[in-house]
Amino acid sequence: MGREVAESCIDGVIIEMVSAYCKRFYATKPELAARRIEAIGYQVGHQLIERLPSAFPPFLFCLRASCSLSSDLFMRGLPGPVDLVLIGYTVERPRFSDHLEAIKFICKDFWSELFKKQIDNLKTNHRGTFVLQDNRFRWLTRVSIDPSLDISEASQDDSAVTPENKAAEATSMHLYFPCGIIRGALSNLGIPCAVSADISNLPACSFVVRVKA
Amino acid sequence: MIMCVAVVGHQNNPLYLQSFTEADDALKLHHIVHCSLDVVDERVNNPKKSGPTLNETFLGMLYPTENYKVYGYLTNTKVKFLMVTTDLDVKDADVRSFFRRFHAAYVDAVSNPFHVPGKKITSNAFAERVSGIVKSFGPVTTG
Repeated sequence: MGREVAESCIDGVIIEMVSAYCKRFYATKPELAARRIEAIGYQVGHQLIERLPSAFPPFLFCLRASCSLSSDLFMRGLPGPVDLVLIGYTVERPRFSDHLEAIKFICKDFWSELFKKQIDNLKTNHRGTFVLQDNRFRWLTRVSIDPSLDISEASQDDSAVTPENKAAEATSMHLYFPCGIIRGALSNLGIPCAVSADISNLPACSFVVRVKA
Repeated sequence: MIMCVAVVGHQNNPLYLQSFTEADDALKLHHIVHCSLDVVDERVNNPKKSGPTLNETFLGMLYPTENYKVYGYLTNTKVKFLMVTTDLDVKDADVRSFFRRFHAAYVDAVSNPFHVPGKKITSNAFAERVSGIVKSFGPVTTG
């Protein structure tokens, strides 16, 4: 079926892309660099979602949780009762009836296609805000949490910038790309939204999706 | 025989139209496709009428005219595929499998990194592949 590429190559390309935009093209304008990286992610997500809902390779098995949404405010333990479903050219995915359906698709099928795991926790306030939490976000597992490397650099800079801040800033640059992917995927499904990311403690990370009314 | 196939974007903007007739009737086909878009909207907004399965991608026969039947298909990304045929007795299953293959061809075409989303599809490879799908549809139903 499709051709494959090593994960380390993808990692390398993404790291290189972020550093090229931050340090070379827009070294003085971090906001602009962030916007450009997000735009690249947007296009990737936009095209990727086109392929995923219907055109899974026929041999691909996919775990799809058949959990129904509980009526309480927060939905916990997303991977509920799980049944094995064959998604291929033979089975068509019905159209999404509402936003939650689409977000759940992103959490399960889309995420497992991208990162081989599902989103660990999904929260929603049922008013258009969704929090997607990944306890071990694959693209952050290689990020060093040791700020000591930056100390020598920081001491030469303005003393107000602490090494922790600097590390967090560098990490957050790496999150604009996945944010763009989510936004692109959702907007191609007809859901205009804004996506921001937030790092609590490192390999864990949560994406906040705000649907535009 | 399939007269033409068309791809229409989510804002009802034409993305692709290919006719398979000898005559110069592109305008007429555009007209037929345009008219059937209203039926697509109707089916989507009143899901009760659209058959046994809710929110299915395949929309069934949209409307029959004297000479043609128009079939529709709506993807998750709100892109519409339309097919105009002159065959009188077409099996739904054949049309379904036609659209499925057509969808796969479309997905491959828009995954091209040089394709601009929302713009017309100009890929020759896509045109050839669609012609192949249309050709293989013909003999199955007539034979």
